[in-house]
Amino acid sequence: MASIDSLQLHSLCNLQSPVGRSKLQIPSSLVLFRRRHKNLNWVQVQTNQRFVCKSIVDDESSTPDEETQNTQNDDDNEKEDDVATTQNSNNTPSDSNTSISRFQSMITTITIHSENSISRLRSMITTLPPVTFLMKKSSGNSVWIGISIVATVLLASIRAYAIRKSRDNRPAGSVSDLVRRGQLRSGDRRGISKGMNYEDPFNNPFVKLGKGSSTVEMCGKVYKLAPVTLTEKEQSVHQKRRSRAYQWKRPTVFLKEGDSVPPDVDPDTVRWIPANHPFATTVSDIDQDLAQNNVYQKQGVPFRIRAEHEAMQKKLEALQNEEKLNNLGIDSQNARDFQRPYKFSSKLEEDENVQKSSQENHNDNSSSEETHKS
Amino acid sequence: MASPRVFTTHHRPPLLPSSLSSTPLTSLPRFVKSPNKRTPIQSVLQFNRKPQLAGETPRIVVITSGKGGVGKTTTTANVGLSLARYGFSVVAIDADLGLRNLDLLLGLENRVNYTVVEVLNGDCRLDQALVRDKRWSNFELLCISKPRSKLPMGFGGKALEWLVDALKTRPEGSPDFIIIDCPAGIDAGFITAITPANEAVLVTTPDITALRDADRVTGLLECDGIRDIKMIVNRVRTDMIRGEDMMSVLDVQEMLGLSLLGAIPEDSEVIRSTNRGFPLVLNKPPTLAGLAFEQAAWRLVEQDSMKAVMVEEEPKKRGFFSFFGG
Ligand SMILES: Nc1ncnc2c1ncn2[C@@H]1O[C@H](COP(=O)(O)OP(=O)(O)OP(=O)(O)O)[C@@H](O)[C@H]1O
Ligand SMILES: [Mg+2]
Repeated sequence: MASIDSLQLHSLCNLQSPVGRSKLQIPSSLVLFRRRHKNLNWVQVQTNQRFVCKSIVDDESSTPDEETQNTQNDDDNEKEDDVATTQNSNNTPSDSNTSISRFQSMITTITIHSENSISRLRSMITTLPPVTFLMKKSSGNSVWIGISIVATVLLASIRAYAIRKSRDNRPAGSVSDLVRRGQLRSGDRRGISKGMNYEDPFNNPFVKLGKGSSTVEMCGKVYKLAPVTLTEKEQSVHQKRRSRAYQWKRPTVFLKEGDSVPPDVDPDTVRWIPANHPFATTVSDIDQDLAQNNVYQKQGVPFRIRAEHEAMQKKLEALQNEEKLNNLGIDSQNARDFQRPYKFSSKLEEDENVQKSSQENHNDNSSSEETHKS
Repeated sequence: MASPRVFTTHHRPPLLPSSLSSTPLTSLPRFVKSPNKRTPIQSVLQFNRKPQLAGETPRIVVITSGKGGVGKTTTTANVGLSLARYGFSVVAIDADLGLRNLDLLLGLENRVNYTVVEVLNGDCRLDQALVRDKRWSNFELLCISKPRSKLPMGFGGKALEWLVDALKTRPEGSPDFIIIDCPAGIDAGFITAITPANEAVLVTTPDITALRDADRVTGLLECDGIRDIKMIVNRVRTDMIRGEDMMSVLDVQEMLGLSLLGAIPEDSEVIRSTNRGFPLVLNKPPTLAGLAFEQAAWRLVEQDSMKAVMVEEEPKKRGFFSFFGG
């Protein structure tokens, strides 16, 4: 015993008057039956449409729509269509023809299903006026006007929203780029921007020199060129004016405010740095020669790191001596603390390993980038 | 402007010894008025060949302005990356002590682990503090200090001179350009930043306060022996110039008496590119401001200057103009 599970219309049915219960000639080829051992399921889509129809004809009516929507709504409709299903539960397969005719009479409004939504919309609009006209016989015209106005406003706002949406997707440096760079927080929205570089700076089609070289075309616009009129003589006049106006010696010695000027220093070349200067200070925990050596160092362990290792090693040796002396079990926490530095500093004695390990330690800035790239 | 261009007569690779490739400024008759001749302006707008490196390498250029917020950092990022795109190796030094933001403009902020302060202290080596740009591997960034650390001024500007020396003698070869982004003002930071430089790019906007500062800074630079000073006029708005609400580029030049390296139009793309961490000159399609920066970089390489300024013409489609050029 198979019952009709769903009814789906796939092509156009020419319906002129959805209101009047005219006999609809629906070719059986247009009606799809899904035979299952289940109750008949009446397919209903778009509840508002159904509502409109219901108010006119006292029947269960439906507007079959796209197949996808149907299948989505199948489950929902199962409950609603209890009546229909109980009525048809006894139908045998041979009865299906009669049940079709019964359904045909029940179908009052079928929206035209078409591929593009515009024509669907149009068909909806053409089916609506008679419905409302019947509903409110006297004031049908003004209601129709109102509905069309609402529809227009709705369409316009949807369009505006779509346009704004598409503009938001623009990849150029908007706030979303700040989000991408981690400067702004915005949930876990993290897009990767595409590279926008143009590779060949020597072949730029955006710059064209016009004929006669008095115009230039850039980015599609034509500009006139006006010659620069400054002469070398004028330039030197300005230089002389400035050399009279500004007399200055670049300070080469920086002293803290309140310090006394060392005897061998020209007071004109002293720059006084206030103690609370936000970005500069005269105090340094390192002397000039050492700093210079640090800048010039091309390879090997940086000075400070090496010094720290040595200090650590000394500390460790002292600890070991102490351990030998009292030969008691040092508490295990302490021992673990020094295990790793000990291994590292023992390597320090072999010269080659030192460089390697330090490079691994400090490859953050430049060297790692190259390895990442490859 | 009517100069028989040195590079057209004999092409040399840009990395030859400086004595060979140096082009004395005086050899170029630079400000001759002859707009009718065709060749000069053409030479200015060439994009179809690599510019010829003039002067001694490394060229140590300080980008300064006096007044704050006129576009020094923007200029450093864009000119620096343009130079890298032209094939030169570039080290950009952010010498803005407390308010560094060159790393942000370049989109390298997450990769700055060490700065010059750490190098001086021996926490890392110089090569570890250099941040290599992934887009153009011949561009490297070096920051002077972290936002919350102070530069020990005991050594004055000497530290920067050591840096330049160390870069000159590094194993992979000396960079062609060392560009220093100078902090605003004429404070200790400025003094430090200009110490190693032997040429300067003065960034200014066409307003009277920026111009007064620019004139002062130019005077100080000249007192310090930096003779090669060229200016970039930034944020130029032709619409305001037409209404006589803003000085024109030529007005600015008349007041300062400096040769023009570039004129950059006001462009909202500048802010957007800052947000992206992607300098304007890399924009595709290129923007007017990006092209202007690119041409400024071109002239910087060849120690050239603008011979003609782009002015508005043919209001074809929109009433929106900018200018720069020859
Ligand atoms: N041509 C331009 N068009 C539009 N905006 C610009 C232009 N040039 C610079 N700006 C904007 O001006 C602001 C300041 O630029 P920038 O940081 O480069 O100046 P600065 O001189 O380095 O400032 P500071 O003195 O603080 O270091 C930025 O927000 C930048 O986006
Ligand atoms: Mg800056």
